Amino acid sequence: MDYFGQLLANGLVLGAIYALTAVAFTLVYGVVRLVNFAFGELFMLGAFLTASLMLPEVRLIGVAVPMPGFSLPVAAAGAIALTALLGVLVDRIAYRPLRNAPRLAPLITSIAVSVVLQSLAQTIWGAEELRFPEFHLATLPPVVLFDSIYLSVMDLVVMATALAAMLGLSAFIARSSLGRAMRASAEDQMAATLVGIPVNRVVAAAFAIGSGFAALAGLLYAQTYGFAHSGMGFLPGLKALTAAVLGGIGSIPGAALGGLILGLVEALGAGYLPNGTAWKDAISFVLLVGLLYLRPQGLLGKPELNSAGRGSLLGGASDFGAVWLRAAFATFDGWLARAAAGGPRAALALLAFALLLGALVPSDYWLRILTMVVVYGMLASGLNVIVGFAGLLDLGFVAFWAVGSYLTSILFVLLLKDQFGVAPADIWWLLYLNLPLAGLVAAGFAVILGTPTLRLRGDYLAIMTLGFGEIVRVVAINWMDLTNGPMGIRGIPAPNLFGIALGSPRAQFFFALALAVLVVFAIARLVRSYVGRAWVAIREDEEAAEAMGVPTARYKLYAYAASGFVGGFVGVFYAHSQQYISPLNFSLFENILLLMLVVLGGLGTFVGPFVGALIWIVFLQLALDLPFVQAYPETRFALLGVVLVVLMVFRPQGLAASARVALTMSGARSKEAA
Amino acid sequence: MRAPSPTPLLEARAITVRFGGLEAVGGLDMAIGRNAIHGLIGPNGAGKTTVLNVLTGFIRPSEGELVFDGEAIGGLGVNRFARRGLARTFQNIRLFGAMTVLESVLVGAHQRFSANALSLVFGRRAAREAERAMIVRAYELLDFVGLGAEVADRVATTLSYGHQRRVEIARALISAPKLLLLDEPLAGMNAVEKSEIADLVRQVRAQGIAVLLIEHDMQIVRRLCDHLTVLDYGRRLADGPPDEVLADPAVQAAYLGRAR
Ligand SMILES: Nc1ncnc2c1ncn2[C@@H]1O[C@H](COP(=O)(O)OP(=O)(O)OP(=O)(O)O)[C@@H](O)[C@H]1O
Ligand SMILES: [Mg+2]
Repeated sequence: MDYFGQLLANGLVLGAIYALTAVAFTLVYGVVRLVNFAFGELFMLGAFLTASLMLPEVRLIGVAVPMPGFSLPVAAAGAIALTALLGVLVDRIAYRPLRNAPRLAPLITSIAVSVVLQSLAQTIWGAEELRFPEFHLATLPPVVLFDSIYLSVMDLVVMATALAAMLGLSAFIARSSLGRAMRASAEDQMAATLVGIPVNRVVAAAFAIGSGFAALAGLLYAQTYGFAHSGMGFLPGLKALTAAVLGGIGSIPGAALGGLILGLVEALGAGYLPNGTAWKDAISFVLLVGLLYLRPQGLLGKPELNSAGRGSLLGGASDFGAVWLRAAFATFDGWLARAAAGGPRAALALLAFALLLGALVPSDYWLRILTMVVVYGMLASGLNVIVGFAGLLDLGFVAFWAVGSYLTSILFVLLLKDQFGVAPADIWWLLYLNLPLAGLVAAGFAVILGTPTLRLRGDYLAIMTLGFGEIVRVVAINWMDLTNGPMGIRGIPAPNLFGIALGSPRAQFFFALALAVLVVFAIARLVRSYVGRAWVAIREDEEAAEAMGVPTARYKLYAYAASGFVGGFVGVFYAHSQQYISPLNFSLFENILLLMLVVLGGLGTFVGPFVGALIWIVFLQLALDLPFVQAYPETRFALLGVVLVVLMVFRPQGLAASARVALTMSGARSKEAA
Repeated sequence: MRAPSPTPLLEARAITVRFGGLEAVGGLDMAIGRNAIHGLIGPNGAGKTTVLNVLTGFIRPSEGELVFDGEAIGGLGVNRFARRGLARTFQNIRLFGAMTVLESVLVGAHQRFSANALSLVFGRRAAREAERAMIVRAYELLDFVGLGAEVADRVATTLSYGHQRRVEIARALISAPKLLLLDEPLAGMNAVEKSEIADLVRQVRAQGIAVLLIEHDMQIVRRLCDHLTVLDYGRRLADGPPDEVLADPAVQAAYLGRAR
C-alpha cells in the first residue's frame, strides 16, 4: 500500500505536467485544427528561459552574458511571457499563411518549427545541461503523508500550480469575451467567422496561452530534475499529445483527464510491471494506439474531428509571398518536369549520369555521401508510396526500415556468427535472400500496423503511426536478447558477391544504385497501373474512389505493404553498408527527415525523394565548410527547418510538383484509339 | 415506350433515413425497371440525393431493404455496390484532383482489372493488354460522352463544368454498370448542352443500362423519363408514368407551394 501510494503521488505529479502541456495541444487544435508539434520545444524553452533568468550569468553561444538572477516565481513569469510571445510569433510566421493550405502543409511546418527551435536552443545554450540554481523551496525537507509517502515541496508546488492554472483557464474561457470567442471558434470556425469573431486574434490568443502552458509545464518538469536540456521537450511533448488525444483532442477537461491518466498509468506501470521503468515509454504509446483503435475521438472528444481533413493532401498552391520566389520555384519545377516527361529515356540518362558519377568521383568521402543520398532517396521513395501516392500520413515508416536492418543483422551476427560460429563471408549469399525476405517481413508488419489505422484519417492517422514507430523503437532498445539493446549490433559484414567483398565506397555506391533501380522500377510499375490509380484516387477523394468500386481499405493496406517492403528491403542494405546499427538510427527524427525529403522534392513523384535527399545531404556536407556551422553543427538542422518553412509557405506542393507521375503505363498511351 | 419487365432491376422497400432528429426519407418504396429511365424529382431538400446515396450504399438506411437484380444488397460496403453494377455521379462533381481525364476515367474501370502485383511489376503480357484494352475503352467512352481525345491528357478538374460532368459520366460507364445513377447531371447547363446530355442518357439506355435521373427541369423530365417518382419532405408523393404524375394536383402543389 505504501509503495502504491508513493507511485500514485509520483503519477499525480507527472500527470499534472502532462496535463498542462496537453492543454496547449488541445487549445490550439480546437481553434485551428493543427497539431502543433512545436509545443514540445516551447516546453523545453520554458525551462531554459527560467533557468537563465534565475542565474547571475549564462553562456549564450559561448559568450558570458550577465543575467538578472531572479527568484523562481519571477523568472518563471518572465519565461512564460517570453515563450507565449514566441508562440504567437511562430503562429504568425509559420502557420497563419497556411490556414487554407492543404492539410499536410501546416503539419510539416509545425515539425519544421520544432526542429528549428530545438537546434537553436542547442546552439544558444550548448549541448550540455543548464543547471538551475538552488531555490529555497527545493531545499526544504519532503512532506511525509501517511508516514510513508514522500512528496517534495516542489512536487506539491507542481500540483498546486497546475491546478491553479487549469482553474484559471476554465474561468478565462467561461467568463472573458476572448475566452468565449475561443470556445465558439472551437465549436465551429466557419460560424465564428460569420458572426464576426476575429479568428486571427482568437488563434493568436490560443497560441499565447498554449505556449505559456507549455512553458509552465516545462519549467516545472525541469525544476524537479534540477536542470534544462535541449532534448528534454521531445518525449514529454509526445506524451502530452498522447494525453490530449486520450482525453479527446479539442476538449480542455479531456486534456486534464488524459494527462492525469497517462501520468498515473506510467508511474504505476513503471512500478509494477517487470522491468517497468525501461518499458514505461512504451506503455503510453500502447495506450494511445489501443485507444485510437477503440475510440478515435478520445474519452471526451467529438467524433467529427476524425474526418477527412481539408481535402487533398497535396493540392493547392500558396497564395502568399514574393512573386520572384514563386517564379524561381516554378522554373526549377518546370525543368524537373520536362526531365521527368522524357519517360524511360530521361530515366536512363539520369542513371548513366549516376554511373558516370560513381566511376569518376575520386574521393571515398564523396562516394560515401553519394551512397547516403541513394539510400535516403530509396527510403524516402518507400515513404512516398504511402504518403505521396496513397495520401496516408505515416510517421511510423522507420519501423519498417528497422525491421529490415535488424532482421539481417540478427541473422548474420547474433544468430549465425555468435551462436553457430558461421563466418559471414561463407554465407555471403544470405544477404541476397534477406533482401526480399526482409521486404516481405516488413510488409507483413506494415499490414499488421496498418489494419487498426484504417478507420482513422488525417491527423489521427499520423499520431497513431507515430505511436507505432515509437513502440518499435522502445522495443528495439529494451528487448536486449533480440536486439542487443542500446549497444546496437556491431560487425555486420559488408555486402559480398561470390566471395568478393564489396566494402569499398565505390562498390557500395554501385550496389546502392542497383538497388535503387530495382526499387524505383518496381514502384513505378505499380504506380502506373490500376493499383497506383486506386491509391491516388484514395488520396484525392476516398469516398468517390469507393463509389468507383475501389475497396479502399484493401488498397490502403496494399500501400502499407508496398511501403513496408521497400523499407525492409533498403534496411537490409543499410545495415550492411553501415556495419553497425542501434536503435538511435531509427528515431522519430529519421522518419521526420524522410518525410521532409519527400515533401522537399515533391510528394507523389518518382524523382522527388531523390531530389530531396540530394539537396539535403549535399547541403549538410557543404554547410560543414562554413566556419559558423563548424563551431555549431546543430545550426544545420535549424537551416533545414527554415528552408522547409519557407518552402511550405511559398510552395507547399514541393520543388518537383509538376514532375507528377502519369498513372497510365508508359507506352500504353495509345493514340490508336483516338 | 417499352413495357416494364416483370421483375424490377432495383427495388427499395420501406426505406427510412434519419439524420439525428430529421427524417430525410420516410418509408419510401421504389422500383426501377430494367432498361428504364427513371426520374426522381422533388423540391429542394426533398431527399433525392439522400435516396441516391442509399441506393449506392453511401448511407445505410435506418430501416428498409434493397434488392438489386434479385439479391439483397443492404449491408454491403460502398465498393460492393459499385462492383455489382451500380455506378453514380455526384451532385457536386467529385473528380479526382491531380489526375488527367484519362486516368480519372480509368479509376472507374478499377473492378475490371485483376493482375496481381508481380505481373504488374514484371509487366506480364496479360497485364499490359488489360491496361491497353481499358485505355481503348476509355477513349471510346470519352467520345461517347461527347469529349474529344484531346482532353484525355488534361487535368480533369481544370475542365469546364459541363465537360467535368461528362467525364464523371464516362468514369461511371466504364465499369459497365447495370444501373447508372445521375444526380442532377443537367444543372448549370445551357439548353444545347441539356439536350446533348438528354440524348446521351437515351443512348446509355439503348445499350441496355437503366438510368436513375434526378432532375429539376420538368420539360426534360417529361420527355426523357418513362417513369417518375416524386418526393416531398422525404415521402413518396406520386409514382407512375410522367404525364400522369405531372398532372397530379398534389405534385403541382408541392412545386408551386415552395420556390424551387
Ligand atoms: N449528412 C446529412 N446530415 C444531416 N442532414 C442531412 C444530411 N444530408 C442531407 N441532409 C438533410 O436531408 C434533407 C434532404 O437532403 P437531400 O440532399 O437529399 O435533398 P435533395 O432533394 O437532394 O435536395 P437538392 O434538390 O437541393 O439537391 C435536407 O433537409 C438536408 O438538409
Ligand atoms: Mg440533391
